[in-house]
Amino acid sequence: MTVLHPGYTRRRMLQTAAAGFGGMVLNALLASETNPQRAKQSQVPARARRMVFLFMKGGPSHVDTFDPKPLLDRDHGKPLPFDLPEVTFAKQGNLLKSPWTFHRHGASGLPVSELFPLTAQHIDDLCLLRSVHGTNPAHGGAALKLHTGSDQFVRPSFGSWITYGLGSENENLPAFITICPTLAHGGVNNWGAAFLPSHCQGTPIGNASQSASQVAVQHIANARTSAELQREQLKLITGFNRDFNDSTAPDPVLEGRLNSYELAFRMQASMPELQDFSGESRSIRKLYGIDDPVTEDFGRQCLMARRFLERGVRFVQVTHSDSHVQWDQHSNLYQGHTKNAAEVDRPIAGFLADLKARGLLEDTLVLWGGEFGRTPTVQGTDGRDHNPHGFSMWMAGGGVKGGFAYGATDDYGYYAAENKMHVHDLHATALHLLGLDHEQLTYRYAGRDFRLTDVEGRVAKAIVA
Amino acid sequence: MKTRFIVLLALAGVVRPCQGAVDGIAYFEREIRPILVRHCYECHSTDSKVKGGLRLDSREGVEAGGDHGAILVKGDPEASRVIVAVRYQDGDLQMPPSNPLSREQVSKLEHWIAMGAPDPRISSRTNQGRLEGMSPSEGRRFWSFQPLASVGIPDRQSPFIQNSIDRFVLETLEEKQLRPASRADKTTLIRRVTQDLTGLPPTAGEITAFLSDESPNAFERVVERLLSSPHYGVRWGRHWLDVARYADSNGLDENIGFGNAWRYRDYVVQSFNDDKPYDQFLIEQLAGDLVPGANQETLTATGFLQLGPKVLAEPDVEKLQWDVIDEQLDTMGKTFLGMTFGCARCHDHKFDPIKQTDYYGLAAIFKGTRTFGGENMGAIKFWYEHSIASEEDKARLKEVDAELKNLNSAASAYKNKAVSRIRTEARANAVEYLVACTQFDSSMPLTDLARIAAPKALHPRILHHCRKHLEYHREDPFFADWHRYADEGKVEALRDHYASLFEKAEKALALARKEDAKMTSLKDEQLERARAALDDKAGFLAVPTVDADAFGEETLAEYFRLLAVARAFESTAPDAPALMGVGDGEVVDTVPLLIRGDWKRRGREVARAVPQVMRWNGEGPPFQRETSGRLELARWMVDPRHPLTARVMVNRLWGWHFGAGLVASTENFGVMGDRPSHPELLDWLARYFVQSGWSIKAMHRLILGSGTWQMASHHPKESEYQAMDPENRWLWKQNLRRLSAEQIRDSVLAVSGRLDRCLGGKTLPLRNRQFVFNHTSEDHTTYDSLRRAIYLPVIRNHLYPFFQQFDFPDPTMPTGVRQETVIAPQALVMLNDPLMLDSATALAETILGGHETFEDRLQAIYLRCLGRVPTKAEVERGGEFIGIVTARHSVRKAWALYGQGLFASNGFLYLK
Repeated sequence: MTVLHPGYTRRRMLQTAAAGFGGMVLNALLASETNPQRAKQSQVPARARRMVFLFMKGGPSHVDTFDPKPLLDRDHGKPLPFDLPEVTFAKQGNLLKSPWTFHRHGASGLPVSELFPLTAQHIDDLCLLRSVHGTNPAHGGAALKLHTGSDQFVRPSFGSWITYGLGSENENLPAFITICPTLAHGGVNNWGAAFLPSHCQGTPIGNASQSASQVAVQHIANARTSAELQREQLKLITGFNRDFNDSTAPDPVLEGRLNSYELAFRMQASMPELQDFSGESRSIRKLYGIDDPVTEDFGRQCLMARRFLERGVRFVQVTHSDSHVQWDQHSNLYQGHTKNAAEVDRPIAGFLADLKARGLLEDTLVLWGGEFGRTPTVQGTDGRDHNPHGFSMWMAGGGVKGGFAYGATDDYGYYAAENKMHVHDLHATALHLLGLDHEQLTYRYAGRDFRLTDVEGRVAKAIVA
Repeated sequence: MKTRFIVLLALAGVVRPCQGAVDGIAYFEREIRPILVRHCYECHSTDSKVKGGLRLDSREGVEAGGDHGAILVKGDPEASRVIVAVRYQDGDLQMPPSNPLSREQVSKLEHWIAMGAPDPRISSRTNQGRLEGMSPSEGRRFWSFQPLASVGIPDRQSPFIQNSIDRFVLETLEEKQLRPASRADKTTLIRRVTQDLTGLPPTAGEITAFLSDESPNAFERVVERLLSSPHYGVRWGRHWLDVARYADSNGLDENIGFGNAWRYRDYVVQSFNDDKPYDQFLIEQLAGDLVPGANQETLTATGFLQLGPKVLAEPDVEKLQWDVIDEQLDTMGKTFLGMTFGCARCHDHKFDPIKQTDYYGLAAIFKGTRTFGGENMGAIKFWYEHSIASEEDKARLKEVDAELKNLNSAASAYKNKAVSRIRTEARANAVEYLVACTQFDSSMPLTDLARIAAPKALHPRILHHCRKHLEYHREDPFFADWHRYADEGKVEALRDHYASLFEKAEKALALARKEDAKMTSLKDEQLERARAALDDKAGFLAVPTVDADAFGEETLAEYFRLLAVARAFESTAPDAPALMGVGDGEVVDTVPLLIRGDWKRRGREVARAVPQVMRWNGEGPPFQRETSGRLELARWMVDPRHPLTARVMVNRLWGWHFGAGLVASTENFGVMGDRPSHPELLDWLARYFVQSGWSIKAMHRLILGSGTWQMASHHPKESEYQAMDPENRWLWKQNLRRLSAEQIRDSVLAVSGRLDRCLGGKTLPLRNRQFVFNHTSEDHTTYDSLRRAIYLPVIRNHLYPFFQQFDFPDPTMPTGVRQETVIAPQALVMLNDPLMLDSATALAETILGGHETFEDRLQAIYLRCLGRVPTKAEVERGGEFIGIVTARHSVRKAWALYGQGLFASNGFLYLK
């Protein structure tokens, strides 16, 4: 590790610290008493050490998956017996019952729709959050709100905040990885670090338009130069840089660049190994559904996620998306959700089972959900509109109560009604589980202390086991 | 409870109340206080939060109400807002937000208000700990709001001094007991100044010419040559684009192309090349549509106000308008005045003397400004553009649009035909699908399932869906039969059952249609179910919605080809010529102040005005009735008496020359910003700027001609000085600078002879408002153009990765000084990006073609890449490297690897 010159400033230090992927340098730096802006040590005991977000792009319907509404079945075709929000995304009709039936599962007996038969087998590990709500009814705004806490300004992604707060446990890998993220609706801002130090930004592996079997970190390989030749070239560059650095004053930034080539070279070697599943057994591949074209893509993402988490990556996001409308069933709800659920159910169930078998689930916080839910009212004849006013997400592992349902929507599933959990509350709660106090995790920028939760956020303590 | 009541009375020190009041207070204590404590204090009490400005932990708080005014009318629960809130009657006012009170609790509150809301609580603290900014009169004493000082130039003598700047700098250095570094050598200076002014490295010829020019004004001559190069505008225009948060796409939610943004970019480049006076430049950008003699150029300039990211699909139009005004105000404030006005949208600025009324005074000007056009494309609203299309253009456009429509229809017609073919086939095989489904359960992988589908030529994905459909329809009368037969293993009976049903249904329908051609349903219940099942496009034979799942390879390839043809046509098709900018809309005198920035909560009306703290003579400019007021605002900003405009701009220019402004926070001259390191120098420069006629080139000549700028980037007493002044605030040396993303790219292309120096024009490969990507995440933008980097598309949400890694600024907000980070992905770019590999190969070819001996080649490659000749040690090591590689690879490969190594070296990436 670079020996830091005592006179160098924090800005200079951060630039250098970022030369590594890890936050080890950074953490040491931030912990130093002389730095007034260090990430504050939290009093909250951490229940999770890492987090994974299974993002269902487009907005899965809660009333068709994890939030059954008997009155919706009963009053199918009738008008919603209370007012619609002042602003809706599209024109909505009368109530539309779910095409799927719900069955009770596990010791908890919580109901899950037949869209998720395999995930349902893990119900006693899931903590259903049935009263999540946001503010923005459009994809872009809602996705940004969910990922960054703001739909109006460019703010750090919550993965970046977690990276900033906790650093990385692996020096050769980025602390925050997002696999096949969608470029639409916020795009890079959904994994960007905004004003946080650049090492906090998510490293994308491909994007949603690419098959998970083909994706790679940008510029991770050189097709024209062998590793051996590149080694020689690296020695050459090191020589150039040593000469240059000798000709200037000692400068941690220049030293940092010297190291950055070594790190890049190491990452170049370790990334392909991480994405190579040849070492995984047949039964694991089956567990994640990699042998089935229907589940292969999302299965690969989940398995990659497990491999990253295992090696100390702090925050991994996987995105279920496709090149069409994803979970956004304004029409053809039945066919669309059938297809989407079929693609993710086995990989999710397999992922949970695998984490559990490896003892990772207890300190890995898993979060599942989309940027909003869907309306219980019909759009057109067979679709549902966006609904940010009340929807479901779930958590698993990481210190949450399993087989537990928190909060509720109204009788028809339109508005969050009990123990309402705003997106800010969701963030506050996730940070809490990771041992970070959302009111203390601040970063001073442009003269202001910024927080993920801005001036909002309440920890839902009831879900903590 | 009783005891507590007494204690409270004692604490509150109230006089003994009459009996009725005691009953009321007892009621409060017994019934109301617990409700407040449990359900309200968390957000409405002095000790935790004071949301909505409302405190419910004291009688004063309850009586004062919140931002909206009173929350209760004593004696009249029906007229009390708090009752509306707890009854959950109003969708926008529901308290407590998560868990509604029980009916019983609500009626207790009603009863309490009916009693007159007796409340014994007296607050010991009100309004404590509330952060408030300075008042405008205090603010005028803050450094940045004071008038520009008329400062004398310090009297100093030293060989260091080349112009007046140096006298100020030296004075400060002497105060701090520091000495300036020596002048940089000429080799360093020519590379530094050429990169600084044009963003390109000097050529070997330019270096030699400067080194051999011994005349005293040799350096000035270089500066003049560079200032008159059109590439000066490319480099400095780009600085301005950082501030103007320039981009070629909207980003945010709906990422569609700004097909006309390039005109603003070219306007900026041209303005810098023309040395357009800054006051004029500012006025054109804020009010180019309103200036006398407005023309295409000045209208184009108003693009500045239009370039921001917008939530174009925001369904709440009013929210959208206020958000856009906020974006414009915030950008304008940071850009021209170094003020963070955005903070005052919801409340008085917490630090600066900017009141919420100041914000809405400015907002009224922008409310009267037209930022949106009338049209839209589905949910996506159109930003405003000044049309400059001729009738001829419009006629041509009609043809183009028609052609595009044809190409798109060709693709969709092809797809629809393919889908209906698949559907017809599936329908014909309906029975086979149902029979095949008896052979597997719904969790079978598609690969195995395909083996069942193949012999009968069934579509595996349809079969997969069919099986799920059956699973989801166990209770459906039509499919219940399938389950019964399947469970009993009676496959043939199942086949006969459905075959006969489908046949009868088809016949019955054909018959019915003979009578009524439009007939779509059957009377017989069972046959109607069969018909409906067959005809349901999302039913048991639904064709997959994802193209790749539905079609075979050939069909898919042809469909994608047709789509690509349409997209290629669209991407290069001409647009109606138009200037992206703003105009005047419905002019308003006042706007309501929005309580907490919420557009649904209107407070008092605020008239158009400039911020109070900046009114040097107590008054702002008068605003004309007929126009929005942007012109008056802009002219007021460039009044020489304005305390901020000139200071902010000279500080930007300084920052771009040195890597740090005299005020380090270039966008924030407020309380939370930095203080100037050299306040007198800053004011002297600002006055010089105004007196020079706001000439930016005059400032370059001044700054570049100073001994300060020409200092070496290291100092003999480096470590001693480092400890005293780690950020070099006192300017004892020049800063070591890393090249920007564009400089790195353009320099690599320039030294390898690949750079295309052509200027201007549309370069975005998208038609106006064409989707960069919709739901697809397929970004077709390419960056292989060899033109200068300023002409590469700036795609919000998905920047060119090379830019992203090398600290290209976030194009959604003004950036005055870029970061210069070191992160490992930069190393990956330098080692593996094809741009580096191709350029290194081209460089190797040039070097090998032009020079024979190893020494000549090495000298040439050093001169090109690093602007100097190699040392003896470097020649030795170079020889070793070339030797090692050529032992097993070509000479060309060896030199390419060597050249790429030079690109990746600090000597290339940094300017001394």
